[in-house]
Amino acid sequence: MKQIEIQVIGLICLVLLMTGCNRDEQNVAPTGDNEAVTTATLVLTNKAVPTEIITATIENLNATVDFTRATLNLRANTTYTGEITLLNKSIMPTLDATEEIRNLANEHLFVYIPTPASLLTITLTDKDTNPAPGPYPIGLTQEIKTGLAGTGKLKVVLRHQPGSKNGTPTPGTSDLDTDFPVVVK
Amino acid sequence: MRKYGMLGVLSWLMVSTMTAAWAQSETCTTVLKGRIMGQDSHEPLLGSTAYIRELRAGAVTDTSGYFRLMNVCPGKYTVDYQFVGYKTVTLPIVVTRDTLITVPDIQLVPDNQMLQEVVVTEHRSEAQQLLQTQSSISGAALDQTRGQSLGESLKTITGLYSIQTGPTISKPVIHGLYSNRIIILNNGIRQEDQQWGTEHAPQVDQFLASRLTVIKGAASIRYGSDAIGGVILVEPKEMPTRPGVQGEVNLVGATNGRMGVASGMIEGAFAKKLTGLSWRLQGTLKRSGYVRTPTYFLDNTSYHETNYSGDIHYQHKNVGIEAFYSQFDTKIGLFTGAQVGSLADLYAAIIRPEPLSKPGFSYALDRPYQAVKHDLLKIRAYYHTAKGGTITATFARQQNTRREYDYLSFSGLTNPELSLKLVTHTADLVWEHRDVKTSGGGQWSGSVGFNGITQQNIRQYLFLIPNFRSYGAGLFAIERYAKGRVTLEAGLRYDYRWLRPYFLNEVTSQTYSTIHHWQNANGSLGAAYQLRPDLTLTANLSTAWRAPNVADLYSNGLHQSAVAYEIGNPNLKPEQAYNSNAVLAYSGHRLSGEIGFYNNLINNYIYLKPDSVPIIRQRGAFPAYTYTQVQATFRGVDATLNYKITPQLTLTTKNSLLFAYNKTEHNYLVFIPPNRSDNSLRYDLSEWGKLSDVYVSASGLYVARQNRAPAVTTRQEDGQVIFTGDFAPPPPAYFLLGAEVGFTAQVGAHPLSVILSGTNLANTAYRDYLNRFRYYADEPGRSVILKLRLPISVGKQS
Repeated sequence: MKQIEIQVIGLICLVLLMTGCNRDEQNVAPTGDNEAVTTATLVLTNKAVPTEIITATIENLNATVDFTRATLNLRANTTYTGEITLLNKSIMPTLDATEEIRNLANEHLFVYIPTPASLLTITLTDKDTNPAPGPYPIGLTQEIKTGLAGTGKLKVVLRHQPGSKNGTPTPGTSDLDTDFPVVVK
Repeated sequence: MRKYGMLGVLSWLMVSTMTAAWAQSETCTTVLKGRIMGQDSHEPLLGSTAYIRELRAGAVTDTSGYFRLMNVCPGKYTVDYQFVGYKTVTLPIVVTRDTLITVPDIQLVPDNQMLQEVVVTEHRSEAQQLLQTQSSISGAALDQTRGQSLGESLKTITGLYSIQTGPTISKPVIHGLYSNRIIILNNGIRQEDQQWGTEHAPQVDQFLASRLTVIKGAASIRYGSDAIGGVILVEPKEMPTRPGVQGEVNLVGATNGRMGVASGMIEGAFAKKLTGLSWRLQGTLKRSGYVRTPTYFLDNTSYHETNYSGDIHYQHKNVGIEAFYSQFDTKIGLFTGAQVGSLADLYAAIIRPEPLSKPGFSYALDRPYQAVKHDLLKIRAYYHTAKGGTITATFARQQNTRREYDYLSFSGLTNPELSLKLVTHTADLVWEHRDVKTSGGGQWSGSVGFNGITQQNIRQYLFLIPNFRSYGAGLFAIERYAKGRVTLEAGLRYDYRWLRPYFLNEVTSQTYSTIHHWQNANGSLGAAYQLRPDLTLTANLSTAWRAPNVADLYSNGLHQSAVAYEIGNPNLKPEQAYNSNAVLAYSGHRLSGEIGFYNNLINNYIYLKPDSVPIIRQRGAFPAYTYTQVQATFRGVDATLNYKITPQLTLTTKNSLLFAYNKTEHNYLVFIPPNRSDNSLRYDLSEWGKLSDVYVSASGLYVARQNRAPAVTTRQEDGQVIFTGDFAPPPPAYFLLGAEVGFTAQVGAHPLSVILSGTNLANTAYRDYLNRFRYYADEPGRSVILKLRLPISVGKQS
């Protein structure tokens, strides 16, 4: 009977050696976020002077956020047409999330909230293809009207509303929630 | 007497010493009493044994030949009465709900051939021999919990709670401790299914168990380091020995969630040339749809579970070998109302009295969900000799793959947000020495052993914890001495832990790693003393430790379901627990019960401390939490009392009180179970027409508001409101009404067990402090559950 025991222990050792010794843990997979947005860019064009283009970019959104090029320097009492671009530079090749959002427009909504509220007036200028009571705005493009001179910020929130989009920000979850500093002169 | 004067009570208990209150069951309180005599001498046989085969439990007779089997559940059993040099007598017995059953005197006939010595402790499972405070559920009490998850079934035991994540995920909590501070021993194997996560439920098929035993308090010596909160043993039924094929079918249906569960088991043993060979196949299928609160359905709370297992066992003379394989596969829908991408979402959801989306009923299970699969392969071999005792070698391989899916993202990628694969190999070698009788009438029993473990973790997609490799080794020895009314126990254990996490420098694409190692020695002392035949006192002092796990050390990421940025601390020291407990158990004719006190002091208790500076990411500002160490205490009282108002009518009260405190920061700890009291009245009828074991019961569960929780405070930070302590104050106290009817009906030759129960009968809308989704929605409303169990036998011979 001792023999059987020795054989069993031998077998166990063999199994341990065969299965316990792969070194797969040493091949570390890079971090990948399906919804990562590293870069948000707002491009505003003066409606009266189309050559006047203002660009503000927030970088490194998914790590330590870089706001150095994020400020929107605008003229008072001016109307701009705006467009937002979201990129994911953490993967190769860079993913243009704007394009993906446009494809899934029926479940996304951009919300723009200026602080103070009197600083800017924002109108969303694009529409999705949701059936009635839709369509609803998307917010990839917008019209921004400045008021009197002042400083503040513009909060940009991307709401992900799968199956629940109703034109209001309430349903769903936020995929992006960031602030552009605003200076109106 | 400061705060329940635990230390005072304990030192008194230690001075006065105690006996075995082995398994203290909650609902099984019957005491089986009898006397074993020698037919030749008409003298009582001191040291003979009465052993219940089905329960694997036994007792040794005292000097007057009396034995007492405590905490027997109602049911039909086979009892072996044995003594060295006498022929074994086997008799059936029916255990009713009576508190005390006295069997007629047993007369043993001398056997001329000297029999191999049979000692009762050989039959007892090792866990049951431990003097530690234990509670177990088996037999009819376990049948009442069929169809529930492990975490939910254990809540019928005092001192046990569960942390929930919606209605589909439930994690057991023992005396306020959970996750990696509890070891689950599934079929003898230390379950390694990534319990570090508060939303990771144990991957155990409850139908595999014939007995669930909980060791409350530090039980590290035998089961390995980490068990500073306790151990849960999921013990399967004994393998069959009688030739033939038999099985069992369990069906459970519930109105809430329109849940259906089917579980089947078939087993057999061979005869003639293949005597000693037995096998078992088992499988469970569970489906549930959207759960309904009193007023609305919870979107996407569907649940799928598919499990199967196979077991083959061969025993020949003194040697046995067993191979067991099981797979547990779940897909768990997460309530969409609790899906918050940012702090702003969370606040909006907390303010909302009801979730936004209130769909109708559906079985659909969409993103977000968890898909978790657990595979276990176990090979066990043992060798037994009368002189040498028993040597058991066990090897196991477990693979746990966990995939967590969020809403489908705009990137259109269908892969999970989080994927973790944990592979664990364990090897154990345990020697239980034969019981040694001393000349003074005492008996020594005990065991020594080695536990080895290695783990490999591979992550993908989002970073939450790193890849790692770990090794662990432990050596232990436990020795017990029993004489007369006293049993004493002492244990020692040494552990070594080694951990190497691997990281990727994303700029250089270079892998780098660090190495941690820890070691520690711990001990325990226990004593039990039988004050009177109906009164037993047990006390324990034990130390235990837990090395920080990889999540404590290296978490670094947005735990989205928790809306918190969790930061690990690589400098954490191991947790060290000092646990003391004492239990007084009484079993009289009409009144029985037990009261237990415990005090668990934990140095370097690891917890997530809210930081003062929020972290700003893509989805806005998040509160940051860093793993920190404090000194914490967990003290409490578990009290159960059964009173027979009439022989048929029993009143049961189960009460659990817990007081936890952060002594370093002089504050309460978050997520500590509130006090609870579960009271029931039960009427039993042994026969009613053609039905047997008929009972009707009504119960009321009261859960107090947790007033000992950190204060919820808010402040402004970067224009955002940041909460510390918690996001919302604890919900109010609640009271739930339940009722149950059960009986056994004869279907052909087989007894069909039927249980019809109702939970939350008053359809009370309430929220539970320990539910992580309490910020978003109410708990489930009324449900009526039907449970059927039918044993079957196929032919006589295989």
